[in-house]
Amino acid sequence: MTELIFSLAVGILTASGVWLLLRPRTFQVIIGLSLLSYAVNLFIFGMGRLRTEAPPVIANIEAIDPALYTDPLPQALVLTAIVIGFAMTALFLVVLLASRGLTGTDHVDGREDT
Amino acid sequence: MKGLAEHLIIVPVLLPLLSGAVMLLLNERSRIIKGGIGVATTVALLIVSIMLLRLADLAPATSGGPGVSVYQLGNWPAPFGIVLVLDRLSALMLVLTSVLGLASLLFSLARWHRAGPRFHTIFQLQLMGLNGAFLTGDLFNLFVFFEVLLAASYGLVLHGDGIVRVKAGLAYIAVNLTASFLFLIGASLAYGVTGTLNMADLAIRVPALAPGEISLVAAAAAILGTAFLMKAGAWPLNFWLPTTYAAASAPAAAMFAIMSKLGVYVILRLWTLVFGPEAGALAGFGGTWLLVGGMLTIVFGTVGILASQSLPRLAGCSVLVSSGTLIAAIGTGNETVIGAALFYLVSSTLGIAALFLLIELVERLRDPGADVLAVTMEAYGGGDDDEPQNDEVGIAIPATIALLGGSFIACALLLSGLPPLSGFIAKFAIMAAMFKVDGPAVQATTWTMVGLLTVSGLATLIAMTRSGISSFWARMDDSIPRVRVIEMIPVLALLLLCFGLTVAGGPTMQYMEATTQALRIPQGYVKGVLTPERSGPEQGDDNQ
Amino acid sequence: MPSGVPLLAIVALPFIGSLVAAFLRQNARNGAAFLAGFTAFCGAVVTAMQYPSVYRGHVLRVGIEWVPTLGLDLSLRMDGFTWLFAMLVTGIGFLVVLYARYYMSPEDPVPRFFAFLLAFMGAMLGIVLSGNLVQLVFFWELTSLFSFLLIGYWYHNASARDGARMALTVTATGGLCLLLGVLLIGHIVGSYDLDEVLASGNAIRSSSLYLPALILVLLGVLTKSAQFPFHFWLPHAMAAPTPVSAYLHSATMVKAGVFLLTLLWPVLSGTEAWFYCVVSAGLCTLLLGAYAAIFQQDLKGLLAYSTISHLGLITLLLGLGSPLAAVAAIFHTMNHATFKASLFMAAGIIDHESGTRDIRRLSGLFRFMPITATLAMVAAAAMAGVPLLNGFLSKEMFFAEAAAFHIDSLLDHSLPYFAMVASAFSVAYSLRFIHGVFFGPPATDLPRKPHEPPHWMRLPIELLVLTCLLVGIVPAMTIKPFLSTAVRAVLGPDTPYYSLAIWHGFNEPLLMSVLALAGGVILYWLLQGYLAKGIEGPPLVRRLKGQRIFERVLVTLSWQWARSLERLFGTQKLQPQLRLLVGFTVLAALWPFYRQGLEAGSHAGAAFDPAFLLLWIVGGLCAIGAAYQAKYHRLAAMVLMGGAGLVTCITFVWFSAPDLAITQLLVEIVTTVLILLGLRWLPKRIEVAGEGLSAGFQARIRRARDLALAVAAGAGMMLVVYAMLTRPLPDTISRYFVENAYAEGGGRNVVNVILVDFRGFDTFGEIVVLAVVAITVFSLLRRFRPAPESAAAPEQQQIQDAHDWARPDRTVGDTLADYLTIPGLIMQWLFPVIGVVAVYLFLRGHDLPGGGFAAGVTMSIALILQYMAGGTRWVEARLKVRPIVWMGLGLLCAAITGMGAWLFGYPFLTSYFQYLDLPVIGKVPAATALLFDLGVFSVVVGATVLILIALAHQSIRTPRAGRPSISAATKEGA
Repeated sequence: MTELIFSLAVGILTASGVWLLLRPRTFQVIIGLSLLSYAVNLFIFGMGRLRTEAPPVIANIEAIDPALYTDPLPQALVLTAIVIGFAMTALFLVVLLASRGLTGTDHVDGREDT
Repeated sequence: MKGLAEHLIIVPVLLPLLSGAVMLLLNERSRIIKGGIGVATTVALLIVSIMLLRLADLAPATSGGPGVSVYQLGNWPAPFGIVLVLDRLSALMLVLTSVLGLASLLFSLARWHRAGPRFHTIFQLQLMGLNGAFLTGDLFNLFVFFEVLLAASYGLVLHGDGIVRVKAGLAYIAVNLTASFLFLIGASLAYGVTGTLNMADLAIRVPALAPGEISLVAAAAAILGTAFLMKAGAWPLNFWLPTTYAAASAPAAAMFAIMSKLGVYVILRLWTLVFGPEAGALAGFGGTWLLVGGMLTIVFGTVGILASQSLPRLAGCSVLVSSGTLIAAIGTGNETVIGAALFYLVSSTLGIAALFLLIELVERLRDPGADVLAVTMEAYGGGDDDEPQNDEVGIAIPATIALLGGSFIACALLLSGLPPLSGFIAKFAIMAAMFKVDGPAVQATTWTMVGLLTVSGLATLIAMTRSGISSFWARMDDSIPRVRVIEMIPVLALLLLCFGLTVAGGPTMQYMEATTQALRIPQGYVKGVLTPERSGPEQGDDNQ
Repeated sequence: MPSGVPLLAIVALPFIGSLVAAFLRQNARNGAAFLAGFTAFCGAVVTAMQYPSVYRGHVLRVGIEWVPTLGLDLSLRMDGFTWLFAMLVTGIGFLVVLYARYYMSPEDPVPRFFAFLLAFMGAMLGIVLSGNLVQLVFFWELTSLFSFLLIGYWYHNASARDGARMALTVTATGGLCLLLGVLLIGHIVGSYDLDEVLASGNAIRSSSLYLPALILVLLGVLTKSAQFPFHFWLPHAMAAPTPVSAYLHSATMVKAGVFLLTLLWPVLSGTEAWFYCVVSAGLCTLLLGAYAAIFQQDLKGLLAYSTISHLGLITLLLGLGSPLAAVAAIFHTMNHATFKASLFMAAGIIDHESGTRDIRRLSGLFRFMPITATLAMVAAAAMAGVPLLNGFLSKEMFFAEAAAFHIDSLLDHSLPYFAMVASAFSVAYSLRFIHGVFFGPPATDLPRKPHEPPHWMRLPIELLVLTCLLVGIVPAMTIKPFLSTAVRAVLGPDTPYYSLAIWHGFNEPLLMSVLALAGGVILYWLLQGYLAKGIEGPPLVRRLKGQRIFERVLVTLSWQWARSLERLFGTQKLQPQLRLLVGFTVLAALWPFYRQGLEAGSHAGAAFDPAFLLLWIVGGLCAIGAAYQAKYHRLAAMVLMGGAGLVTCITFVWFSAPDLAITQLLVEIVTTVLILLGLRWLPKRIEVAGEGLSAGFQARIRRARDLALAVAAGAGMMLVVYAMLTRPLPDTISRYFVENAYAEGGGRNVVNVILVDFRGFDTFGEIVVLAVVAITVFSLLRRFRPAPESAAAPEQQQIQDAHDWARPDRTVGDTLADYLTIPGLIMQWLFPVIGVVAVYLFLRGHDLPGGGFAAGVTMSIALILQYMAGGTRWVEARLKVRPIVWMGLGLLCAAITGMGAWLFGYPFLTSYFQYLDLPVIGKVPAATALLFDLGVFSVVVGATVLILIALAHQSIRTPRAGRPSISAATKEGA
């Protein structure tokens, strides 16, 4: 059940993200990209499966039992992904501002469709 | 590990980073110093990568097959830690990268590096990203390096500013961000199913998967494949490419000539490694798609070349043709063909880079719209009537224009696969290989491929003659453009290299064939990556 | 066996000479001419010296390994036939150079001319002497290239440009076909070596690939030697300087085709396909060329068409497939070369001395240049096939063969008549050439006063005409031995008996020649009246202009169709591209499931908690809301997006990923600030009531499609995630990390240890990305130009300033300064607090959630709060912010930490650690990883701050109207 909700969540985030990604306004696109990055981060995270109360912070250093902790690797990947995603969002934002400034429109093609 | 020689493999990644970081500390104005540092770094890179090439070429064969050199980062053994893997293929790409890097950097010193702040840092980090991507043996690390080089390429596309660049950049970034998401999804999915990120380990775990898991891995491969095909510029995911490359400043575009090849490289690497003959249920996964997609790409690129109204766009479209040829060649899955294709890869990359640089100079002597004029003249038969016939004294050509013209002809020959430059051998090799594979009964695939190669060459020739004549022979004004020596040298150097490839065709071909041999038996790679123990003066004590 | 080394010299010399000539001064007229002449002469001598050995039937060979794996070797070979050809190329080449020295005007920058000419000669010799078919094609294409440069030598004339381009396009296309043909032959034989190919004729003819190979090779040959229907390029090549025409169209370029045809004759000929293809092409060309030649007004045009028709004759002979015909072909190739070269030169002299080549204007030149006239007449007579001249002999052979029987077919039976008609035509145009130019009343309106040329310019013609006469009168003593060596080389054992006597008694051929001669004379006499009218182009086929058709086709194919195709299958817009990308991915990813199926796993998942459901109901609504609002209500959309982000954070906490939660939250904050800073530069967009509904049909279709795509993508993701979550985790590499994190990584927080140690290289790359992006943003905003309408100060600020205006006791900007004073103060006080938090996060990172990145972002938040509170100027007055330097230092710190391991002989990024006991904070892991993390921290602070500040600075810049910068203007063409 939890899994179902989780995957539904990813699905919804993706769907809204893609929808926005395909819109003509740059602002819509950037929001879409952010939503997509949430979806993707959750996706990566999900690849380590879902476990509650098992943070990968080693409690007992004498006897380490991997079974007690959730898979740490996807979390590390997500962290990297978050950082890079942040950087790219910032970049895209600035580029869309520049494009808006130079072309005078906020359409993704730099000119309104005719 | 004994001495710094052991660390040579990581130098192509570290060196550009260090010089890039140092340049950040320098004042923005001090361009001469930065230029110096940049050139020095790139020259060093070239030397190092050539050393690595020899290293890879002389690597002793292991029990599994041709050996590879492995560098365990953080001294963690594969598949847990990240490893850099050096084999003939990656070494080849490293050399190619540093050659292009040096050429573009020299070219940019004439004026482009002044067009925006921090050009040199971005340029160095671009090199770092490329080198890392060619070297790494870890799927997610590959993603990281993709992001590095993409981020740098965004910087380079936008370098010099201006409406056209910003517009092109916006599309370029949007498409590539989407592709990056695909990369993440694919990579993590692969991890979720197989439980590893190391490419060699994947090659072992994928064939061993339970039947229920196979479709998931296939999906992961398909998603990754889409991302890589898009980077390589395969139709119909390649419309952004000519526009972006044409908009970018000349040195940037010349650098990009290898970026599309990176996509091809990754496809070749993963595909031969993970979906090789031993991959069980997934052996040769998607080969047909590669073949067909590649062919369609050639067609689209050819059409684009003919339809292009400006030289930069023409060059952009020839990137597509070259990518298409390579993808299709990989799709055949035959080592002889792929070997020939590798030769083609080198030749066409050098040629396209030279063309991008050259165009910038040629554009200086042409009046805008000359191309369109060229065609309309053709269409409505202008010419004969409106010019005097009796003028039968030749015109003395200034050295500059002669040089530009000569280089232009060279590029045309190179890209259309005519002698005497390496383009001819490359195309001939591919065709001959395709025939050889078929034996007495020639397959339809071969006919199509051969036909496409011929037609694309012809189209390139027609288009380039058209714009070449209009910019060199039918010039309206006789002004001589200002071309600095430092701008001409890289172009000539690249073309000379291509000529060298022709002369040294024998040894080069042998290297390529050795490379594909190694790709055909991935066990060598896998063993090489997974067997070595953690290095260090003595075992185990490396953390006390 | 004599060595073939001289062959290398023969081929290499011209190329070397060409290189040297290319570097001569523009006006080094004599130097260049001498160089070229000398080179050609040496070539001729060296070739001549090889005669004894080829006469003895030896085949000279020399080979150098080139690309063995492809069966490509640089190999040269010379037998009797190729010797004869090499002799022609070099000999006539020498004469042409001599002639050109006087023909080209003194102002002309001839070094370039001679460089091209020599290079062309070299390429031609390369073809002739190639011992390897691929290498032959190699040189074949080179001749196309250099002929292009030669024809276009006077490129300032449009006709020269078009002619050159047409020649290149046609012949290069042929060359590509030839390459394919050669590939096929090589594929059949298993080698490209000429001798092996010649040895395996039967294998080739019986192969299933014979027909395609034949057709492809013929395409190459026919285009090269201007055979119908590819003949049209040749007349336009006449725009070249006359020496070039004399060379290309007598002994070289066009002869390359028939040369190859002869060379491969033993291998390819003798089949029906061969007979019909070659003979019909040859016959059409023979007749058409001769017919068109009669009606040319331009001397060179006349010669051009006659060349076409003579080549047609040779092709026809080769097509017949009988050994005797082959002999005739070879013989005529030689003869044609001699008389046609001399005729072109004569035409050149006439043009040179009288200033025109137009037959209508020329007349009665005999008076002014008797010697040249005589020479031209003899040559023309040879062309017409008058007895006692070499043309006569080969034509006799031709007639004999035409009359003879080959393959029972209409074509074969009708040959004799066609042959006679054609030669009657040739008689006619030869007559026209002589009569029209040299006789009749002296021309009055010539541009120049005609007179004899300098003797040296005439010498080549004299020599050539002499050859015509000697060969014509005493063939046995002159040409016989050479011809027989050549013939033996080609035909080998089945060399037929043939006699070169002038008189064979009264027989069919003689009768035919007589008839042809008579017919020609009568025809010319009849046409007098028509020709006098001086109408351009031949009757009946005048409309049919090869050039125009070619151009039209080229434009249609290579331009109009291409452009519409590109429009059809490509796009410049972004949305379709993204649509394709997403759609493509969805299909590609779902395909395997469709094929192999996909079922959920059996893994018992985490316990269900309604709160979680509730959480995601909110989250989902936020996401959808954001998607819905993003067009008109940007702020709302952003808040909703933040909501979704928050829910994501909580989910991370929920499933035991505290690190992610922290990082996500921090990034969330910064992103929000960023977008807020950006919002003001976007255009206002007011929702018009019901606009969504009133949208056009098109738009609705588009929306529906996008919605479908979005849902499909979402469903796909959901499917995969669910499938994965319900599967048990395979044995992953993470086990290793958990086991070794503390013992070898020196940290309890496995995630952090992975980030800074196990997979530190990822983090390393990640900070580089941050840095690059920050720099890019920075340099992009340097040139930022806001759009005009958003350049003005924000509304609120205007109101505030207006308020100040209204109140006498206030100065403008006070309100703005006092605005939100209390929160501002609090924020300023917060600075140290947040700073401490950052340090804390940083230090505990290795053991508990936190780490360099989180700390870095926190720090930058502290900084940006100061900007918000005090305003940009206030902050920068108090504290020096140099983010770029921080980034640089950070990168160096990380890199050097990593390289430190080298000193101890470990690979990059190997970490070393031990625990320190610090007061207050307690036991702290002091791993080198911590230093690395410090680098990360520094880069993150630098990058984030740089981006935020760069954006914030836009508001305090003096606004300027948006316009493209200069560099954009230059690129507009792209």
